[in-house]
Amino acid sequence: MASFMNQEFPDEEEEDDFNPAQQDDSDNENDDAPDADDDDDNVPSKNARRGRDDRAGDERSSSKRAQDEDEGDDDDDEEEELEEEEEEEEEEEEEDDDDDDIEGQPSRKRRKKQRRNQFIDVEAEVDEEDEEEPEEDDDLPGEEMHPDDLQELPIGADRDDRKHRELDRQREAQLQVDAEEEAARLKERYGRQARASGATGAIVPQRLLLPGAEDPRIWRMKCRPGKEREIINALRNRTIQYAGSRDPVEIISAFERGGTNSPMAGNIYVEARQVADVEKALNGINHVFMGTRPFMVPMEEMPDLLKVRKTKHLEEGMYVRVRRGHYQGDLGCVDEVEANGTDIVVRLVPRLDYGLNEDSNAPTMDEILPNGQKRKRIKPITARPPPRLFNENDAKKKHAKYLQKGALTNNIWTYQGKEYVDGFLMEAFKISGLQIDDVNPTLEEVSRFQSGEDGAGNMDLQSLAATLKGSRGGDFLPGDKVELFRGEQRGVTGRSVQVYGDVVKIKVDNNHGALSGQTIEAPIKDLRKLFREGDHVKVIGGSKYTDEVGMVVKIKDDRVTILTDSNQQEITVFSRDLREAEDSGGATSDSKYALFDLVQLDASTVGCVIKVDRESLRVLDQTSNIRSLLPTNISNLIERRKNAVATDRDGNEMKVDDMIKEYSGEQKSGRVLHLHRNFVFAHDRESTENAGVWVSRNTNVITVAAKGGRANSTGVDLTKMNPAMKRTGAGAAGMAPPQQKGRDRLIGKTVKIRQGPNKGFIGIVKDATADIAKVELHAKNKIITVQKDMLSMIDANTGKVIEGGIQNLSLGRGGAPGKTPGYGGGSQTPARGFGSMPSGGRTPAYAMGGGRTPAWKQDAGGRTPGYASGGQTAYGGGGLGGSTSYGGGTSYGGATSYGGGSVWGGAGGQSTWNPNTAGGRTPAYASANSGSKTPAYGGLEAPTPGFNSAPTPGAYQDYQTPGDFRDAPTPGVRNSYQTPGGFPETPGPYSAETPGDFGPRYD
Amino acid sequence: MSKPNNANPRTWRACMVCAAVQSEQQFRNRGCPNCDDFLELRGSVDAIQDCTSTVFEGVITLTDPMGSWVAKWQRLQGYVPGMYATKVVGILPNEYISACENAGVKYIPRDGSSIEDEQ
Repeated sequence: MASFMNQEFPDEEEEDDFNPAQQDDSDNENDDAPDADDDDDNVPSKNARRGRDDRAGDERSSSKRAQDEDEGDDDDDEEEELEEEEEEEEEEEEEDDDDDDIEGQPSRKRRKKQRRNQFIDVEAEVDEEDEEEPEEDDDLPGEEMHPDDLQELPIGADRDDRKHRELDRQREAQLQVDAEEEAARLKERYGRQARASGATGAIVPQRLLLPGAEDPRIWRMKCRPGKEREIINALRNRTIQYAGSRDPVEIISAFERGGTNSPMAGNIYVEARQVADVEKALNGINHVFMGTRPFMVPMEEMPDLLKVRKTKHLEEGMYVRVRRGHYQGDLGCVDEVEANGTDIVVRLVPRLDYGLNEDSNAPTMDEILPNGQKRKRIKPITARPPPRLFNENDAKKKHAKYLQKGALTNNIWTYQGKEYVDGFLMEAFKISGLQIDDVNPTLEEVSRFQSGEDGAGNMDLQSLAATLKGSRGGDFLPGDKVELFRGEQRGVTGRSVQVYGDVVKIKVDNNHGALSGQTIEAPIKDLRKLFREGDHVKVIGGSKYTDEVGMVVKIKDDRVTILTDSNQQEITVFSRDLREAEDSGGATSDSKYALFDLVQLDASTVGCVIKVDRESLRVLDQTSNIRSLLPTNISNLIERRKNAVATDRDGNEMKVDDMIKEYSGEQKSGRVLHLHRNFVFAHDRESTENAGVWVSRNTNVITVAAKGGRANSTGVDLTKMNPAMKRTGAGAAGMAPPQQKGRDRLIGKTVKIRQGPNKGFIGIVKDATADIAKVELHAKNKIITVQKDMLSMIDANTGKVIEGGIQNLSLGRGGAPGKTPGYGGGSQTPARGFGSMPSGGRTPAYAMGGGRTPAWKQDAGGRTPGYASGGQTAYGGGGLGGSTSYGGGTSYGGATSYGGGSVWGGAGGQSTWNPNTAGGRTPAYASANSGSKTPAYGGLEAPTPGFNSAPTPGAYQDYQTPGDFRDAPTPGVRNSYQTPGGFPETPGPYSAETPGDFGPRYD
Repeated sequence: MSKPNNANPRTWRACMVCAAVQSEQQFRNRGCPNCDDFLELRGSVDAIQDCTSTVFEGVITLTDPMGSWVAKWQRLQGYVPGMYATKVVGILPNEYISACENAGVKYIPRDGSSIEDEQ
């Protein structure tokens, strides 16, 4: 019906507009219409009414069009008025416009103008029109019956129709009377409240109340911040005081918008007709800064002065922060909201020290000074105790008197007048004492509330979200895709171009008709970011998922569910916290700890980080337990010790990065991450459990492969490292060959291969180690590796084999070989002198090379040199203590040869000579003639013990054990054992031992 | 509300219906200057607790309620001159809301929510 009328109406309206005279015609048409119903007469009236309504509506949307219509209407009005009130002239109508209340029934033209100026009255006067116009319309068809009706209907029917109309009129009149009665009744009933209800009734939209030119203006004055209410109150009192006096305060109103954190603090606003009133009213009121002139607030800014932002509705479980007092800044969880919405019971984590830091000597009462005033107690400034759940046992220690048990069943305590439930403090706050916006709780704080009775499991993210919802941030950035979800332009999408304050400029997308491509401005609160399923987005703030990147999978209102890239988890965040992400990649954590770090959990526990979350860590501790920790639970990071060494089950060494395998159990394998005390943390690339990390005791793993191929399979022979074992073993195995130092002297020598596949080849030694040599063959241009004992040295010129050349080369040490007794001076040494002997031709070094000690040689073949030397030189010696004693000299010669290996050098050669050339003179004589002097003599000869001992046979006795020798280096001690008889029994051991020890000592 | 208000501002309360600001004592003695016919605050501590709030912002002193644009904007037109609040935080219990409606007074929450709804 309505749409039908709407469709029909414009025709009529156009007729009205363009040919006002036709109104009669249209009425005539109605009259002429055959079979007109009773309702017919109402149709035009309703149409007309609706038409006006529409016009009123149109006026709002398109003022230009309304203007046209009004012009048309004016014409129309004039026509009508000519008809109805012909005596009334236009001038009078204009007068009517001016004084509206004088005329009982304002002219229609005036009403039109009212309609243009004041929207409210249109609505209010529609009823009047309703009442009026039907009459008007009724009259026309009633009086002038439609010809068709007259023609076709029987007389009775015609009369019936009239009766119908009459009935309608009666009903309408009745209705009108009823309404009037009702109004009167109501007025009578509530009339006394007319004043009170003045501002009520129909609520006029506030946008229609915007200030106009006729409204008073508002001036702003600066004042002392925090004193705004005081000023307003003073102003009010002054107004009352001067009311009715000759000089009243003529301001209309005054107000302040101070308060904590209000940007309008420090201002008061006065509404008045002129600035002089403002100045007069404020003059002399405290805290008002009269130095500056009142500033007149621009009219368009006046509504902003009174803008009220809705306080967020608090619900249970939301998080707030305490603004003041002991718990200032602490996070609280709303436990209960009183019905009035202003009193909030908040659950807090108590900060108590249970009187443990109390000064027991502090005066309990305020001291009264002589002048009667109380001395103010200065409260010692103590650090706020850390937040910790209430513990009645702690409270009982010192403050048992303040502690009361609450209900029997629950864990409720009253301590110092405050209630503690399940360890939490329950405290009532006014809503003004709480910070509700921008709470931004951290996960750590929130988890404290969860850790109470039910563990960390059920974090109430819903309430967290509710808390976070109101917090603002730099939500929109240029380039964001946005959608208007409220207001007239709801549904419009576009990209933000510019953001300033609370306004975003948007370039509208192309599919929005007239708006396409335009740049419009929209308030932030009407906007939300637009995403589509599949978008790749990044969480930019407002939640614990900050920096998470993922794909949008679901959108519901402003909640967007995304599947994170990092761990394929579905998380739901608010669309304003999202941005389109250009980059992939997960959260860039700024945690102090990285994956696989070794961390100290407590004094005796360490763990390896196996997962780093935004605000928490997962740690595998040394007992294979997984712990979820906050970074603050970790005492410190243990630096990775790259060169840490441990021994595995087999005693093999195990270092970081070695591959190891568990010996028992699951036989897990992996690469060593950390070695800590008895524990090894290893990482298995193939395993996903605990990020592949496992932990075991050192003794439960075996090294499979060492990093860099250290020869580990056989293991290191620890016996070599053990000095005790080495000593005993040395006696049996013989002395180790002296350490080679420097360049192998075999290098560059010409050798012949004696054995093996290359037997007979001649070549030059290019390189050599202790027992192998690289030989460049003469015959082939080839370098082969040969065992040294498969070589024999030959004279490069003659090709003759040099007997023992290699051995000599590898063992002879020291300076010029010629000076060493063993080699260069071989012919001169005693040994050389005994060249006829089977082994005598060889130097004592040879004996050593053969694994025998010089001493041994002396034992076995030592007699021969002894004899030989006895025959030649040892007269002195022989004369003294028998030839054997001189034999000692020979053996000494042997000693020199080895000694020469390390120490002696040229001096050794000399000393070797001594026994030969002057042996008869010196040692023998010395010891014989003045036994006590021998050492001194020896001392003269050389400071080396070897030398010392050499000329004095008697001294040999001291040499029986190296230990003795070391312990008794003084010649005097040696002298005390001069009996040569002891000598033959012992030289072996001592001479075997001493050289090695000697040499280094005198280096 | 024609007497000077010397009460401690800490005891001030604001009516949740008309935003009139008075001390609690004044509410008890005289009731709400505008709404007492249906709220019946006079002498009733409970009703005062329910219908008035200590949490309010932006105090206005209104001298000429009919001529003032501030009063018009704040929907205080027709109220008695006196002290009013720009914003009153609190939840009026339902029985009082219906009392308002029965008295022909449209209850407008004064905590800012009505403005947000409108826009």
